[in-house]
Amino acid sequence: MKKIKILLFTIFSLMLSTNIIAQEKSISGTVTSKFDGEPLPGVSVVIENTTRGTETDFDGKYSIKASVGDVLTFSFVGMKSTSVTITANSSTVNAQLEEGDNILDEVVVTALGIKKTRKSITYAAQDIKAAELNKVKQTNPINSLSGKIAGASITRSASGAGGSVKVLIRGNSSIGNNQPLYVVDGIPLSNPSASQPGDTFGDINGGNRDGGDALSLINPDDIESLTVLKGASASALYGSAGLNGVILITTKKGKSGSFKVDFSSSVTAETAAYMMDFNDAAQKNVDTFLESGSTYINSFSISGGTENAQTYFSYSNTTANGILPSNSMKQHTFNVKETAQLLNDKLKLTASVMGSSQSFTNRAISGLYFNPLVGVYGFDTSAGSLSDYANYEELDVSRNIMSQRWFRGTSDIEQNPYWITHRNQSTDANKKLVSSLNLNYTVNDWLSIQARGTYDKTTTEFERKIYATTEATLAPANGRYIVNQNDFTQMYGDVIATVNTKFNDDLTVSVIAGASTTRNTTESLVADSGTNGGLQFANVFAYQNFNANASVNFRQNSYETRGNSIFASATFGYKDKLYVDVTARNDWTSTLPDDNNSFFYPSIGVTGILSELFEMNEKISFAKARISYAEVGNGFAADQINPNRSINFGGGINNTDPLRPFPGTTPKPERQKSFEIGTEWKFFNNRLGFDLGYYNTSTINQYFRVPVSTTIVASGVAGLNAGDIVNKGVELTVFAVPVQQDNFKWTTSVNYATNKNEILSISNDNVQGLIPTDFFTISGKGVNTFGSYLVKGGSFGDIYAHVIKRDSNGTPIYDSGAFVIDDANQVDGLTKVGNANPDFMLGWNNSFEFKNFTIDFLIDGKFGGETMSMTQAIVEGFSNNSAREDANENVDVVNLAGAASTLTAQEYYGKAGGRNGFTGEYMYSATNVRLAELAVGYNFNLSADSFFKRVKASLVGSNLFFFYKDAPHDPNVSLSTGNALQGVDVLGLPSTRSIGLNLNLTF
Amino acid sequence: MKKINNLIACLAVFGLIGTSCSDLEEFNGNERDITQEQLEVDFQHVGSKYKPIFESIYQYTPAWSYQLQQNLNADAYSGYMTPPRPFIAGANNTTYNLVSGWNNFIWSVPYSNVMNNATAISELTDTEFPTLNGVNLILKVAAMHRVSDVFGPIVYTNFGDLTNAGVYDSQENAYNAFFADLDTAVTNLMADIDSPKFAAFDLSYGGDYHNWVKLANSLRLRLAIRISAVDPALAKAEGEKALSQSEGLMAGNADGFFVNGSLDHPLTVIDNSWGDIRMNASMESILSGYSDGRIMSYFDESVDHPGQRKGIRNGLPLQAPFADELAQKAAYIGFSALNDGVKTPKVQLMTTSEVYFLKAEAALRGWSGAGTAQANYEMGITTSFEQHGVAGAAAYIADNTSVPANYVDPVNADNNATALSTITVAWNAGATNEEKLERIITQKWIAMFPEGQEAWSEFRRTGYPKIFPVVSNQSGGIVDTAIQIRRIPFVDSEKSTNASGVSTATGFLNGPDNAGTRLWWDTGSNF
Repeated sequence: MKKIKILLFTIFSLMLSTNIIAQEKSISGTVTSKFDGEPLPGVSVVIENTTRGTETDFDGKYSIKASVGDVLTFSFVGMKSTSVTITANSSTVNAQLEEGDNILDEVVVTALGIKKTRKSITYAAQDIKAAELNKVKQTNPINSLSGKIAGASITRSASGAGGSVKVLIRGNSSIGNNQPLYVVDGIPLSNPSASQPGDTFGDINGGNRDGGDALSLINPDDIESLTVLKGASASALYGSAGLNGVILITTKKGKSGSFKVDFSSSVTAETAAYMMDFNDAAQKNVDTFLESGSTYINSFSISGGTENAQTYFSYSNTTANGILPSNSMKQHTFNVKETAQLLNDKLKLTASVMGSSQSFTNRAISGLYFNPLVGVYGFDTSAGSLSDYANYEELDVSRNIMSQRWFRGTSDIEQNPYWITHRNQSTDANKKLVSSLNLNYTVNDWLSIQARGTYDKTTTEFERKIYATTEATLAPANGRYIVNQNDFTQMYGDVIATVNTKFNDDLTVSVIAGASTTRNTTESLVADSGTNGGLQFANVFAYQNFNANASVNFRQNSYETRGNSIFASATFGYKDKLYVDVTARNDWTSTLPDDNNSFFYPSIGVTGILSELFEMNEKISFAKARISYAEVGNGFAADQINPNRSINFGGGINNTDPLRPFPGTTPKPERQKSFEIGTEWKFFNNRLGFDLGYYNTSTINQYFRVPVSTTIVASGVAGLNAGDIVNKGVELTVFAVPVQQDNFKWTTSVNYATNKNEILSISNDNVQGLIPTDFFTISGKGVNTFGSYLVKGGSFGDIYAHVIKRDSNGTPIYDSGAFVIDDANQVDGLTKVGNANPDFMLGWNNSFEFKNFTIDFLIDGKFGGETMSMTQAIVEGFSNNSAREDANENVDVVNLAGAASTLTAQEYYGKAGGRNGFTGEYMYSATNVRLAELAVGYNFNLSADSFFKRVKASLVGSNLFFFYKDAPHDPNVSLSTGNALQGVDVLGLPSTRSIGLNLNLTF
Repeated sequence: MKKINNLIACLAVFGLIGTSCSDLEEFNGNERDITQEQLEVDFQHVGSKYKPIFESIYQYTPAWSYQLQQNLNADAYSGYMTPPRPFIAGANNTTYNLVSGWNNFIWSVPYSNVMNNATAISELTDTEFPTLNGVNLILKVAAMHRVSDVFGPIVYTNFGDLTNAGVYDSQENAYNAFFADLDTAVTNLMADIDSPKFAAFDLSYGGDYHNWVKLANSLRLRLAIRISAVDPALAKAEGEKALSQSEGLMAGNADGFFVNGSLDHPLTVIDNSWGDIRMNASMESILSGYSDGRIMSYFDESVDHPGQRKGIRNGLPLQAPFADELAQKAAYIGFSALNDGVKTPKVQLMTTSEVYFLKAEAALRGWSGAGTAQANYEMGITTSFEQHGVAGAAAYIADNTSVPANYVDPVNADNNATALSTITVAWNAGATNEEKLERIITQKWIAMFPEGQEAWSEFRRTGYPKIFPVVSNQSGGIVDTAIQIRRIPFVDSEKSTNASGVSTATGFLNGPDNAGTRLWWDTGSNF
């Protein structure tokens, strides 16, 4: 360990002091298309294994400084890349690119912005071009990844347009955050989780809401390409943040010599498509209430520049009206990027500012509190029609106030839905600003130094105005006002030196070494007049109207965390046949105790190009094998080590100590070890190929919130490094071009991934006073009967429920007017009934080009896994609105003595249902196969003197239908993008089908 | 050494980008929270911990937490109140279909809010401020005997002890520890009885230690009476100790133990706002049968049945013709709600009238210093009437004809019930001890309202008053409908985090860990 550190520093100092002589010179040339000889603008020209590179101008011309022995790689979207080695007499290097799908030869952007040829990388990486991403445009661009990346599971949140998205790469491993790191142009993006639902009942403090994520604030049209680095080997250089994989986003920039305007417009209409079966009368009420939604996304960009300075500017706006009445979203984004080459091209400067703002009215929520769907789904159809209550208020003469109107007394779970949308209205406003500066100085032909910095600020503001006469569980007599503001700032800086040497013709070495620092601050304010505190005057929503009592929640939080790192990476290449990649990183974090706050971790990978190393049949165009091992350490969230008790507004100190390390223990960094092996093969002149990989990741010493008896630690939980969670899986991508003719081309690809998660241990047997437990709570059951626990021997995502006891014939036992609970093998009073994660995922992408037409479709399937419909349980428990309750069917039951009898469907589901009923009766297979995307496009033929350069129109549809689905809801939608509430639907907004039109203009 | 190496390494690199390497730890906490140093000003590091204890013996807030801690178990089992809504389609605690998710709160509320703070206070004050610890110990006994009276064995002497982590005390040992803690408390307080040290933190007696000693004596008498059948000798010794202590017992209503919280009484929220609790049929039967004036200050007139104080039977399942819980709730919500008189911000934990009834029973059992049973019995009634500002105590005490009334459910006649007792109010010196005890406990039951925990404990110990059994018993034969529920099983959170402790504790029980097993002091016979 210490030795490796010394080595690291030796490399670092060498970099500053060695003086290897090499000849650097100016290279220029033109890049043309092999097909028609036309110059190609925007071709990426990079020196392999460096961060140095340029792009061709409008006339296909480029110039770059390079040394003899450097390899220049030319690559362009949709074209086969080509490489040229600089020799002593090259000064003009022209290149011709041919069309092709040989993505393996492409240059990919890897960690920290380092560009490598795909063939040299030692781990799994998969990328997607902008065109692919934007075929069917989504308000959150990450949604478009579903089915397109092997091993990435994409789950939309149930909050409607602009909602957060959960991305899970290679399974769940962490009880904290399992989302990948997003890196924009080499710099980690701050993606703070403002708020995610955690309770099946709903959050009484404003509802089970989606606080939004940073990705929905990015304009999809600004993205040039997106690369997914799946394992820790790929992301070791990002440190702990890259533990769950990394999604690298490269944004567009201006190009010299060209002036280009792109305009794109998309209109889609959404309809609620996937929900439980209601009886006719109830379905009519649901249909009356839900509206058809619409989404308009317009964006334009201008780019252009001179040889020394280029500009890219874009603006977009999105307007969406959800299927929930009065739910709407507005978003504006802008992006300015300036690139310049100064000091004789030695200094490259990139400055960019990206800003966006989003606002939502009545963002959809799940759970029971503040959710209009409760009243819609549960409306007693014998009380008339729901639309009779669209007029949701009436004068209460005793108070001289407009009061809620409903067919019966409201209850904690049920109010007039129209009252909720109008008189419990919520607004969300999220803003993000990312400004960054990147300086890259080429010191000499073997050394360049880069310095970068960003200031990344995200603010979120949530407000709910709750009028007087709202249900009393949610608000006192005069109403309630809730405001929640968060302000997250991340400042990041790094300095990276790149050294490239070539010892001889056969051996190349490139070394990257650097240091980075990150500072995160969070400021938050919660102001909530509360369920008991209340307002002085009815319906005045202002802080000064709060009653001055201890039931009011007024709270500020401020956190600052810091982290410093040094890192180095070396890539050794032998004859373009064999590559060895080594990385090392040491982190210091403020979130760990001073004695344990430094941690080191290495990675190593090897790639062999089999088709170069061995003689192979000519049908094999390319073959390679890769293997890598990596470790990554991880710090904690803020305020875990020695937190103080908080103060309650007007109410003294908090009753209980916050989560603290288990008495007598000192926390240490978490650690993940991962191993992966893979191979890539291409045949028949690259018309067919596959990439197959296997990985095994083990996460140890996680800082668990272990459940502890309240008789030992009064709060019932304590922090403890413990556990071993293993994920193993196989990822396979197969692509083929079955037909390639002048007028017709069909490309197809299949992504397959399977992940098996095993919880080997979750506690620590050797801590004095700790009684080791065999489970850990992800979603506690609370007063409802859904639970998610990590149990030794189980897997992440296991679902627990109340199960009806059955006799040996499987007949439910019903005694003394109630079902008998099956209390065998319980965890926390619940029984395991399934797992939320699929056994495997399959995505099938197809693209047809026929003359000017293009047709693309994606079939996305998830196989295995279970999901609970608490929605159905609630509806059946509180009404007779479900279709099967209407059916005239009897269900056989037996009593404890074994005597058989029958219950009507209404009795059966009425007693089994409810949010805290026998939720085990509401489990469904989560297996589903859907037509996820369909796009039919037409490229207009334009005359040479047309004002437009390109005009394309397409008809698009997403989530069109399911080939197979068992669950009443869409299992691809999740209530939370966090770890909680996986595999359960509790009155989430029904998933929609959308159909629309896209128009792209370039001029 | 490692640390210095790290520091050098760090400085070498970060000198370049201007960031610091040492004392990273200072950038971690939430600077809006209160530090230990800041807490020590005005001795708040001790003082601030009493409020959570005061407000969690019977939890003030959030109201739903109290609802689960007590309202949906003891308040119903005592015959005081009934929820109009058949929660979980009638499959809930009230029908003996125990909801473990609810019952966790009976355990977690005192452990997470009382035991932690009481233990911390003891550590800080044990030697330095003995009187502060004295008050603390009284509060701790006041909170924890209630928990023991629900479950039986509890973790008391080993709380937070890492060498005996999670080891339960049998109920007998727990009671011995309560008596010992009360001994320490009284000794500490008597040594500096006029000290004003506690005044700033006292939510009950304004810092007057005389009152605290009276409370300690009264609590001791309550506990002694509780074990009078199972361990008569210890009961007598502890009872007589309480009766002879120089500060005496609670005597006037001002001595009663109430917590003056800063918030609304949780019953206000549960009753008014949520409509989740109403009068119990047993309360209606006994109070209306006796024409007891206190009925007016305990309950409101029924909205649906004007002119009546209308209660609901315990343990109602989801009954025909109601389609769902909310429909059934709608039919019963118009029964009698609780009167505002019981919902002041003062939470009642022990009344002076209760102490007179305790003394009446002590006299019945022949403990010295108790006075006569009749005088104490009548004083108990008078004191209770006075507490509620109700006139007519004298006539009431003399009533030797009124008996509990039959119950009629105007929504569903199937729930009608004949009164189970013919006990009258007026003292009958010639009656058997058993009848005298029924009379004492019936009146104590009325006087202790709305504190259902103590009422349920005394009902289980004595079998009085004779409250209506549940309409639906879904315990699968575990609970006998006639003798009613005896305890709550150990909670799920303990079973999963402290399985060995629960297993030992189960061994301390008289039977299996279920709701039909009698507690240690629950012998089934009174004399």
